[in-house]
Formats: sequence, structure tokens, C-alpha cells
Amino acid sequence: MSSPGDLRSLVDDLRERTEAVRRGGSEAARRKHTDRGKLLVRDRVDALLDPGSPFLELSALAAYGMYGTGEDDLLAVPSASIVTGIGTIEGRLCVVVANDATVKGGTYYPMTVKKHLRAQEVARANRLPCVYLVDSGGAFLPMQDDVFPDREHFGRIFFNQANLSREGVAQIASVMGSCTAGGAYVPAMSDESVIVRDQGTIFLGGPPLVKAATGEEVTAEELGGGEVHARLSGVVDHLAEDDAHALAIVRSIVATLPAPELPTTAPVEEPTVDPEGLYDVVPTDTRTPYDVREVITRIVDGSRFAEFKQLYAETLVCGFAKIWGHDVGIVANNGILFAESARKGAHFIELCNQRRIPLVFLQNISGFMVGKEYENGGIARDGAKLVTAVACSVVPKFTVVIGGSFGAGNYGMCGRAYDPRFLWMWPNARISVMGGEQAASVLATVRRDGLERRGEEWSAQDEEEFKAPVRDQYEHQGSPYYSTARLWDDGVIDPVDTRRVLGMGLEAAAHAPVPDPSYGIFRM
Amino acid sequence: MTRMFDTVLVANRGEIALRVIRTCDRLGVRSVAIHTDLDATAPHVRAATEAVRVGSYLDVDEVVAAAQSSGAQAVHPGYGFLSERAAFAQALEDAGIALVGPTAAVMEQMGRKDHAREVAVAAGVPVVPSYAVTDDPATFALPVLVKAAAGGGGKGMRVVRTVGEYADAVAAARREAQSSFGDDTLLVEKYVERGRHVEVQVLADHHGHVVHLFERDCSTQRRHQKVLEEAPAPTIDEAVRERITSAAVDLAREVGYRNAGTVEFLLDVDTDEAYFLEMNTRLQVEHPVTEAVVSTGSTGEGGSTGGSIDLVEHMLRVAAGEELALRQEDLQLRGHAIEARVYAEDSFHGFLPQAGRATLVRWPTTPRTRVDHALESGQQVSTSYDPMLGKVVAHGPTREAARQALLAALDDTAILGLTTNAGFLRALVASGEFRDTTIDTAWLDTAVVPEPEPDVARVFAAWTDAMLAADHGRPGPFRADGFRLAGERAPFLVHLDRTVRVHRDADGLGGTVDGVTVRQLLAERHVVRLDLDGRRHQAVVHADRHAVEVVHQGQRFVFERPDVALQHGPAAGAGTLTAPMPGTVLAVDVAEGDRVAEGARLGVLEAMKMEVALTAPFAGTVTTVGAPVGGRVALGEVLFEVEADDD
Repeated sequence: MSSPGDLRSLVDDLRERTEAVRRGGSEAARRKHTDRGKLLVRDRVDALLDPGSPFLELSALAAYGMYGTGEDDLLAVPSASIVTGIGTIEGRLCVVVANDATVKGGTYYPMTVKKHLRAQEVARANRLPCVYLVDSGGAFLPMQDDVFPDREHFGRIFFNQANLSREGVAQIASVMGSCTAGGAYVPAMSDESVIVRDQGTIFLGGPPLVKAATGEEVTAEELGGGEVHARLSGVVDHLAEDDAHALAIVRSIVATLPAPELPTTAPVEEPTVDPEGLYDVVPTDTRTPYDVREVITRIVDGSRFAEFKQLYAETLVCGFAKIWGHDVGIVANNGILFAESARKGAHFIELCNQRRIPLVFLQNISGFMVGKEYENGGIARDGAKLVTAVACSVVPKFTVVIGGSFGAGNYGMCGRAYDPRFLWMWPNARISVMGGEQAASVLATVRRDGLERRGEEWSAQDEEEFKAPVRDQYEHQGSPYYSTARLWDDGVIDPVDTRRVLGMGLEAAAHAPVPDPSYGIFRM
Repeated sequence: MTRMFDTVLVANRGEIALRVIRTCDRLGVRSVAIHTDLDATAPHVRAATEAVRVGSYLDVDEVVAAAQSSGAQAVHPGYGFLSERAAFAQALEDAGIALVGPTAAVMEQMGRKDHAREVAVAAGVPVVPSYAVTDDPATFALPVLVKAAAGGGGKGMRVVRTVGEYADAVAAARREAQSSFGDDTLLVEKYVERGRHVEVQVLADHHGHVVHLFERDCSTQRRHQKVLEEAPAPTIDEAVRERITSAAVDLAREVGYRNAGTVEFLLDVDTDEAYFLEMNTRLQVEHPVTEAVVSTGSTGEGGSTGGSIDLVEHMLRVAAGEELALRQEDLQLRGHAIEARVYAEDSFHGFLPQAGRATLVRWPTTPRTRVDHALESGQQVSTSYDPMLGKVVAHGPTREAARQALLAALDDTAILGLTTNAGFLRALVASGEFRDTTIDTAWLDTAVVPEPEPDVARVFAAWTDAMLAADHGRPGPFRADGFRLAGERAPFLVHLDRTVRVHRDADGLGGTVDGVTVRQLLAERHVVRLDLDGRRHQAVVHADRHAVEVVHQGQRFVFERPDVALQHGPAAGAGTLTAPMPGTVLAVDVAEGDRVAEGARLGVLEAMKMEVALTAPFAGTVTTVGAPVGGRVALGEVLFEVEADDD
């Protein structure tokens, strides 16, 4: 457990983990890749983006600690063998989806599929063109049952491509390596595509499969190389000499896309309170209370925050501010949620929808208040109002888990299930249905009741031995790294980057129109 | 009679017209420019009091008419154009208009080499010794050059260094002369192995006064085109100086010279003998070095410029009939000056003339520098006129100080949009040969001045491009600063002739470019000053969508961004040429086994009323000819196959 005052060390830890996954596959795999004249995946992204473009990478730590064979095998599939994110190409925001062939040949693990689909969802919600840099052997066959058949599995990638294209969200692919089996549909389903000569291949069945099926012996290049697809099959539209040329062609394609219409924003003001101070004012133990306004003042333009109902229901702080010149409504926990906090929040969210102002949730919530008084008073009724307001919101929502994310508090504060445009976690965050101690106590109480009904004894030592693994499980699964590995969020961020990241999210969200607000029934 | 003119027509263009107009302005004399249609808005037209259109700067009648119509009492011809045309001088004399120069008669006399040589001999001025072919070679001052009288281009020329070689050389030269020119007449003259070009500036009035303004050395020349000029001559002693200056004055007196003129000598490096070459009866391009080093008063080292000489002013006064205000005993040398001529030419690639729009022009503003030019930003440089764009003249108390000042000035010179010789001049001035005054008049014809490497310029290009992207690119949270989550900022990848990685510090004032440590000292209006690994450099940089242009130490580098539309290299199998349409073979130019160059026509196909030429995609050997002439071919039928050469 972290102790107060060491948020910096948590950030150092985050940077170390991120640096490790950014290296990609093993040194041998990387050397083999570059010896073929291919760029490493993140170098491809850097070269694709405008010089100096920022890159809002999504879930760099996806699959972190998953698919390993040993206990310490945290880097079995770094970044889930795919790099996704938002950057600028020819001055306009694009979603980039790039396979990392140095990690298991760029094959699709369950988390790879999830991450690919998540990137397409980001493109859809924000109407950002998609650029796919394809270098993948297709599905990871040993896990085909978790990759292939279901609604949110491999086939959904192409379903999305078809529908994104229909919605006018450009689909551009560059084939820079293998593009096998189902993967062949990524370029085929794209609006415009590029292939690298003597390097990219596209086929539904590779040479071994062809030989097995028909006995025909054919090289990969003859079967589906660049020359074949650019000259004969018409599967691709442009033939590139190498990676750099292919990326340049992609850039020239993006340059032909119509420019998005963006709303004007106010001039940007930096916070007057130094964001670096976050390291000192935020306790890393989620049980230690502090004033969330210390966070808000370090995130918003000019450190200016116009509070709504400042004197009422003080455990939920609501108010208007600007972030990078964009208007936002901020909803931030400052203690446990009471019925009046929920009503205040619902009211404020309605205001933001009415005014088309994006919402930012700063989540640090142990849950709604419990107890007879509150249940009888109908806290669930007021909680439902907040959840309805959050669920039905039409304005872009952004959630940052800056502390605990427990129980129904997660729902009311726009958890992942409530479709925030982006959800980020701080490295000190915790997420689970309830705290480990509470879960252990609840389970212990249930068990003790059962034992006592049968007239059995349960010693304090036995109870402690029962509770310890429950606590351990919640401790393990409540970690932001457990969360981010499973795509419950879009990434773990340095708290000091919160303002920047929210600004990037707001900028992306500004590309999509906001419909008129409407709601279901608010339980009164 | 001795009243200054009130209106002077300047029969020239470019920097020299501006230079004459400047003096007119200072003296309160109205100036009249002439211009062709091409020059209607040229700087000299804008600078003059009035301007008259002419069809050509070389049309004597038109220029005389322009002088008459504008009420000019005198014409200053500058250099080039009509300045040494005796017919022009005569036409002006006939029209009663003063030429700021010598009389037509003198011009005529000095304009012909044989006459000029006779005048020199009469004045006791040494000329290059010549001999009759039949003379006894033992009486020659060896070496001698035996050459065809009708000759040129080195044909029929023999250098004879010993008496014994003479007979054979004459025989060989005669044979060559006969076969090359059909005339075996030979001349024999003293051969100067290593010569320096030294010339003396003289000034004479109507009243018999002649003075010299010391000498200039113009040995750094390429095929008789001067590149660098300096004053005083760095390799001569007082005795030689005395010899040539008095010879020049004697010559001027002998011919009854009037106004400014220049007497050129060939100085034999090995013997210190100086031989008369010719006299230029006009103001010289390189006159500013004389103006920089000759003073009239006893103002000492670094003294006031009150004693400076304006040659154009003296020319005008003499032409107006005034007595020469200069007395020989008052004239003295003061320091050293070097001039560099900036030309629109590609000096490192065959000295090819260049034309185009000078998109951005920055002339030096460094200390002790004079610039005479007529080139401004945005100006079109055409090949219609002299390719000289301007002159950069630096002055210093010593030759080395002047050389350093000139280096600084050339470093501060930047012409973008077209290639100039500024970088070549810079390299030349920096060379050990120029520093050590070992350059003779033939040196540049064979010496190779190394072309500057593009490395430093590329750093400037990449750094500036990244800076522009960061400062003037997209604002807001997606601004170009390489932001990455939980990691170091990404480098700026600047795609030029190759991809360059630029790391910028958060403040944008420091970083690295491909590992070179950069500290930015200045970046303002295209001028960028950087400290690179501890050494200061300055460059002028202009970036646009297609290229980044950098001028560093005078040299222009253009880094083109990769163009995706550029032709791809030939593909594997691209050696097979198939019929793009069904049609008839009209021509077959090759046979199997023929070697062909890239782009060579192999044959022609007629189809759909079009004639399609089929060309070799690369150099190689024809391995297949698929159809004969007249053959009808289907779509996709193989017509030719070419096998590429192995590299």
C-alpha cells in the first residue's frame, strides 16, 4: 500500500512500466524487424504524424501482466501488440491503429481485438479518420474462441470499417507486413489503401494453407505481394517503395480529406496554480480526505472555477470552467454521495446538456451513503436520478479516476459503462465493486452467520485466514494496472498531464456534433 | 564652362547606375535613368530623378536621343554597354553632350590592342617582349610562347623553355596552325608562367593634370572574368609600385587621356617584371577598392572619411571642365580593401548562369563593409543582362583584417530563390591560397574549390522547420511539442533529403539535431543563429511546403521534402513491356541482344488513333522482341523484354 506523499514515486513507476512496453517485442524480434528495412511500430507512428505532433496514446499498458506463463511475466504481450491513439496528420486529428509485428507477429489476442475496437469507437464518437498500419498475422490461433466468434470479436473490426465509412469517417490502410486471413479485410474494407513493395502481403490464405487446400505451391509475393495487389488484383490503390514512402502516401491521402468544422474556443490560459503541486496536495491513500478543489484549480484555465450550489450538498462539487479554452462542467467528488449530492449532480448535468457544455467527472468515490435513514429516505431514488442524467447525457463526457472508484459511485460518476468519450486513471486510483476490507468483512459475516446457524465456532484466527485472500484479491484487482490491462480505461496518466489530456479529449470531441438532449423517466 | 552639370543621363543599369545616381544626388545633380521594358521598375529607374525608355541599352541613337530629350548636359556610361564604344563618344560629341570619359579619338586608339601597344612603347612603358619567328632563340628571354597568329583555343601553341626545343616547337606549331586555321603565320612572345593581374587607376583633366590612385590586384579570375579584387596589390614592393604607377601616368599623358581610366599590367611572379596589357577607358567594376584605400589628407590610420575619394564625383567634375582637385603628393594608401563579385551562377557545377526570382535577399550589414548592388527581395534575375548581382567590399587596416571582414560579410550575405556564387566566394576568400596570395591569373581555371558540405545547413533546416511547426503550427493541446503520455517527448521527424530527428527542450531554445547539441541564439525574420556543439553559426532559412532553403556561409542549400508523387523505381518484372491497348506495331527500333539506355525508344505501337512509344524502363539488354513491324497485337501481349544491368 502506498503511503501519503509519494505520488511522485507512483508516477516514476508508471513511467518505468510504460517505457518497458514501448520497447515492443524482444530485442531479437526487433532486430529481425529492422534488418528487413522495416520501421518499429512507434517509429512508424512518429513518421506518420506531423513533425512534433503529440500522440494521445490509448491504453499503452493493455494486456500488461496478461497472457504470461510465469508470475512475473508482465510483458508477455506489450501494449497487446497494437499501438492506438490520436495524433495530427497534415494538421488534422486522426486515429492511428498500428500492429506491432515484433510482438507475437502482431497477432490478435483478446485484448488486441478489444483495443482495436476501442480505437474505432473513439474514431466513431469523435468522427476522426482512421489510419491502419497493418503488420499482423491475424488472430492468435490458440485463443481463437476468445478472439473470433463473438459480437465484440474480430469480425467487428470490419463491421466497424464498413459503418465508419458509411458515416463519412475515412478509413485508410497501409499494408506494411503480413495481412493474413481476416486481416486481409482491413485494407480491402478501407476507402483507400497503400502497400509496401516486397514487404506487404495480403491474402485470405497464406502459402501453407494454399498448399494444404489445393496443392498449389506459390510464394507469398506471388500470392499477394505489393505488385500483385497494385497491378493485378486492385486490392490496394498505391504501391510504396518502403515504410517511409508508404507513410508519406498516407499523409498525402489524409491531406485530401475535407477539413472538419470546429467550434471556436476561448483563448487559452494556463492555470495560475502550478499543476506540479498535485504531487503534494493529493494523498495517495484513497481513505485520506482532501479538498478536490485543490485538483480543479490545477487543471482549469486561469485556475478559475465558477461553482454551482457551492453551499448545498458539499460532498459533490459542481461548477463551470474552461480547459484549453473549451467550456466544461466539472463534477467532482468531495466525500461520500448523499441523496442531495445526487440531486445536485443530476441538476448540474441537465444544465450542461441544455447548454451543450462537455462534462468532466473527477471520480474519487467510496460509494453512496448506506444505512436505514438513507435507504428509507430513498437514496436509491436520488441515486437513480444521477445515473439517469449521466446515462442520457448527450454532451461529451470525460472521466478521470483520481482516487477510489467503488460501487454505485462508479455509475453515478460516469464509469466505463456510461460511455465517457475517454476515461483515464491516476496511478493512485483504485477500482472495485467495494473496498477489499469491506468485501472481506461482508463475506466473513455471511460465512460466520452460516457457521453459527449450524452451531459451529469460527476462531478469530480462522476468520483472519479467510479474509486475507479476499483482501489480496481486491488489492490485486483494484490496481489501475489491472484495470488498464483489461481496457477498463484508456490509460493510466501522470496527474500533472490531466489538463493536457483533457484538452486533447475535448479537442477530439469537438469534431462531432452534439444532438439535442432527452432523457428517460427520472424517478421522483 | 567650369559649371557643374545640372542634369546627367546615366547610360547603364544595375548597381553601377545606382552608384552614379548616388553621387549625382549628393552633388545636387538631376539624374536621368534609361531602361528597357524588362527594367521598367528596376531599382535604378526608381532611384533616378527621371527615366526614359529605350529599346536597348546598346542603341547609340536612342541613348543620345534620350539625353537630348531629357535635357542632360552629360552622359555617364558606367561600365560595359556603350562605355567603350568610340562611336557613342563621337555621337555625343556631335550632339554637344559631354561624355563622362575620354574623347572618342582616345577611346578609339586605346580600344585597339596594336595601337595601344604602340602608344605604350612610345611612352616607354614595358610591353610583353615579342620576337620574329626567324630570330635567334638564344637572344630570347625564355620561356617564350610560339602561337598561331590566327589562333585560339590553345591550338598551334607551344611553350619553349630551352633553346634546343625551339626548332621542333616552331615546326609543330606551324603544322597545327596550318591544319587548324589554314594559316601558318606564327608569333613568338615572352611567356609568363605565373602572372598576376595588376592595374593602375589614373585620373586626368582637361588641363594636363594626371594622377594615379595606386593599383589594384585582380589576379583571382576565371577565364578573364574577375572574381576577387583588392587594393593595394599584396605582392609588390614599393619599387614595382613606383614603376607601374609612373608608367600608367606616362601612358595617360602620352595619349592625352582625360577622365578616369585604368592601365592593366601583367606582373610576372617569377621576375617581378610588369608588362602593359591594355587600357580601360572607363570606370572599372572594382573601383570601390580604390575608393576604400586611397585618401587625400594626412588622416592617419582609421581616420575620418573626410579624405575619401569619390571617383564618380571627380569624373563628373573633370567632364564639366573643372581642374582636377587631387594632387599626387596628397594621395596616400590607407589600409587594405577586397571586393567580391556576387554572380548569379552555379560555381560548383560548371559556373552555369542562373536565373530566377530572388525570393529573399539579404546583403551584409557587417562592419567596414560596402555593398554596391541592385538586387532586392522578390526581384527577377534574367539571363538577358550581366549576371553580376552586386559587389561586397570589405576594408581593414591590414589585408588580413580586410579578408576577415570580407569573410564576415559573405557569411552575412544570403540570396534565396536562385543559386549564386556567394558560397564559392566565401570558400575562395577562406582558402589558404587566397590568404597566402599564391593565386595567379590561371589558377581558377584548373583549381578545384571544394563545395561546402550540407551538414550544418541541414541542421539549420531541420531545427528551423521544427521551430516553425512548434511555434506556428496548430495551437492548443495538439500543438507540436512531441507530447507523449508518461514518457519523453518524441523527436520532431523532419523529412528532408533524409529524415532528421530534432529534439526540442520545453523552452524551445535548445535541444539536439541528429545528436548535435543546439542552442538557439536568434531566430528572427529568416535569420537564425545557432550554437552547434559550442560553435556559432548563422544562416538564413526559408521553409515552405515543398522545401527548406538555407544559406549558410553564402552557400545556398535546398532541401526538398520527399515528394510521394515522384516516379517509383522500376519494379521487379517491369522490364516486360506489354501492349497497353490492342493495336499495330508501327516500329521496332531494337533487336534481341541490343544494349539500351534507360528511356531509349524500343518501338512504337499504334492503337486507338494514338502512337505510343515504348521505352526502356532502365538500362539493360533487350532479351525479347515480341512482335514484328506491322504485327497486330492484343491487349497485354508482350512486345519487349529488357533485362536490367547488374549494378
